[in-house]
Amino acid sequence: MREPEFKVVDPRRRFLLWFVPPLAVFVSGLVVLLVSGHVTGPFRSVTVVRALFASKRDFFQDEQVKRILMARGYQVHVTPVGSRDLANKPDLDSYHFVFPSGHVANEQVKSRRAGKHVVPYRPFFTPVVLATFREYAEALVKAGAATRNGDLYYDLKMDEFKKLSDDRKRWRDYGLANENRITVQSPDPCKAYSGATLVGFFATAFGDEPPQTVEAAEKLAREVKPYVDAQGQAGDDMAPKYFVPEGRTHAVIAVIYEHQYIAYQLRQKSVDTERVLLYPEKQHQSTPELISFTPEGDRIGELMMNDPDLRRRAVELGFHSLGWNGETGADFGTYIASRGLPEPPAGAKGRVELPRAELFERMLDVVGECK
Amino acid sequence: MRVLAAVLLLLLTACTSSTPPVRLTVLASTELADLGPVLAELKKATGIELAVEHRGTVEASRSLDGFDLAWLSTTRFLRLRGAEPELATSVMTSPVVLGVKRSKRAVLGERPTWADVADRAALGQFRYGMADPRVSGGGMAALIGVATAAAGTGAPLRPEDVSCDRLQGFLAGRAFDVPDPVGEFTRRSDVDGLVAHESELLSLNASLPEPLEIVYPRDGIVLSDYPLMLLKPEHRAVYDRVVEWLRAPAAQQMIADRTWRRPVEPSVRRNEKLRADLGTALYFPDSSEVIDRLLLFHDRAGDGRQVVFVLDYSTSMRGPRLAGLREAFASLNGFDRFYVGETVTIIRFAGTVLEERSITVRGREDLDALLAVVASEDLRDNTAIWAALERGLQLARGETAVVLMTDGENNAGPSVDEFLRVGRGEVPVYPIRFGEASTAELDRVAQASGGRLVEAGAKPLLEAVREIRGCR
Repeated sequence: MREPEFKVVDPRRRFLLWFVPPLAVFVSGLVVLLVSGHVTGPFRSVTVVRALFASKRDFFQDEQVKRILMARGYQVHVTPVGSRDLANKPDLDSYHFVFPSGHVANEQVKSRRAGKHVVPYRPFFTPVVLATFREYAEALVKAGAATRNGDLYYDLKMDEFKKLSDDRKRWRDYGLANENRITVQSPDPCKAYSGATLVGFFATAFGDEPPQTVEAAEKLAREVKPYVDAQGQAGDDMAPKYFVPEGRTHAVIAVIYEHQYIAYQLRQKSVDTERVLLYPEKQHQSTPELISFTPEGDRIGELMMNDPDLRRRAVELGFHSLGWNGETGADFGTYIASRGLPEPPAGAKGRVELPRAELFERMLDVVGECK
Repeated sequence: MRVLAAVLLLLLTACTSSTPPVRLTVLASTELADLGPVLAELKKATGIELAVEHRGTVEASRSLDGFDLAWLSTTRFLRLRGAEPELATSVMTSPVVLGVKRSKRAVLGERPTWADVADRAALGQFRYGMADPRVSGGGMAALIGVATAAAGTGAPLRPEDVSCDRLQGFLAGRAFDVPDPVGEFTRRSDVDGLVAHESELLSLNASLPEPLEIVYPRDGIVLSDYPLMLLKPEHRAVYDRVVEWLRAPAAQQMIADRTWRRPVEPSVRRNEKLRADLGTALYFPDSSEVIDRLLLFHDRAGDGRQVVFVLDYSTSMRGPRLAGLREAFASLNGFDRFYVGETVTIIRFAGTVLEERSITVRGREDLDALLAVVASEDLRDNTAIWAALERGLQLARGETAVVLMTDGENNAGPSVDEFLRVGRGEVPVYPIRFGEASTAELDRVAQASGGRLVEAGAKPLLEAVREIRGCR
């Protein structure tokens, strides 16, 4: 006979048996969260950076961008506003940095910050384009105003396009079931940079030389005005509406930024060949400047220029990247080609030469009757 | 121990991150009353309660005072006043279109335009209801749509496009315009269709034994895009959360499924009925004067207008001129048609008045009777223009316009000076000049009466008649 045995259970071991499995789950979860940059909260201080944005807010509202910045210890709180409104905001100084879309607003912001901390960064650029639909682009080809340039892009002759407007041509004149006059729809040039760019595009139909005096600028503006007014009341940000199934009903030609289009195409399962872009032969590239007012803003600017993850994400979102010296990176063309998108035209006749900021500003006031 | 501390910290932050309940006041368009279930979900998910007061978009756009947010069918009326809030985000869309009873659908023809609708309305063959444009965005959008289509320029309406009022025929078919057109429509059986947002019509269809057919007029629609607007900047953070929630796929799906509005999030799966092609949108006018004029003509519609035609039947009109005149009368349709309730008076003259005939239009038979008068082959010598015009003005009752067509010199009855010596009151005269008729004399009379001279030679007669049709 064997003596009965007493089983002695070590209380420490019992505790560990109960405690270790959930702990393991918890720790591994925590590691995942830390690695993905989602939850650093209790272990690391996160700096909230307040910023004013024009149309480029989609960049900072992108989930991956937010995650990358969070992993670097920053959270950017975005206040969206039209580019021109941005430069005039009374509480401008209360932000860490601003991110207007174009040079007029850039200059205004810098002059308002004269004598204070103001450091500009130019991480990328994107052309302003006229977004349309295949049958409308083909109608413009028929009308002699556009020529096809690859699968998704067309070159637009602004002087020929202007003539269509002069002749009060309608889409139905080129075989489309649309009674409307041929015109471009844009955001309000008083408020948004892309709307202002439309003024610049039409101005190229009146000659190559940008005006040098206030009188010349006002005269040119009065010539351009009817072409911008032809759309009736201007819209707001055109891009979101261009991409919905009712896009044609919102506007058949809408002024947007190329990056919005590229990002949209990259999100599709297969390339959308219905939505195509018109590139005025003289292109205009919007080079948004991240203008920093504080050391926190500087840090975001430096990350935008240096951080490989952020730079890669910018290209994925459709931007052409720029180096510290303003040189264009090759990564944009390579990347979109790898995703099956043709590289957009670089501008058959170069760039739109916009007049000096204060003269252009005057033109916008005349065209838009800005209040 | 460190791990334990981390656990505790995480638990604590998890607890404190749930926010206290928030309540914001919202001024919203009347038709958004159907968003109740969506807003209940919003509250459940975010703790944010939106306390909504409903008003017609046009009325609401006059003042947003006292509210934290606004959610109207469009910012366009605010923009006309320069009162658009800085932040506005479109949440969903719906076009203003036409719902038609199946039994009446054939009357409008296949793929109709607003001009077709106006044509049938003028004939008394189609009666519709709409929202009151003085109050409602849907009603005003309909009016703008019809007026833009009527102007036919393919461009946004300018004030002068509304001056020749071509809406009367369309408005002759209006059975009612009230703040709640859907409710009124269900209460009545004598109405053939309803002009309203697609969303309202599709919702209404769910409760009708015989659903309305939705017609997207071919010449263009007006699209509402329902922006949520931030009125008080201090609520910025809450606004951002509400917008983020509303524009996320789950809420967008709910909006599409429960309220029949079209989502702005492209990835949302749509009911087949929300996939119908909307066609072209009409450009929106950039002038509040246009809106004011539209309302002026809208309010004036239907009070027994009259048009008097004083037509030269002297022998020189024989041949192509008279043929052109008859053809012009026979071709008046669409927005130019004589409409139910309108009184049409025709005076044929040569050296004297040959015939006068007044008909108040009740239907197509009356239009045939008018054509029979014009078809007369009774032509005589001499031309007594001013005597005939005087007779025409005597027959004018209330809101009247007089159209005078002649091709010759006055050679009988009073002279133009004698005619003008007598005060002629407020009735505008629109002379249409052919051949040898005196431009100077006709222009004087037109100017003196507040009318306008139209040259028949410069354009087809039909176009000339259309141009002044309904002008006053």
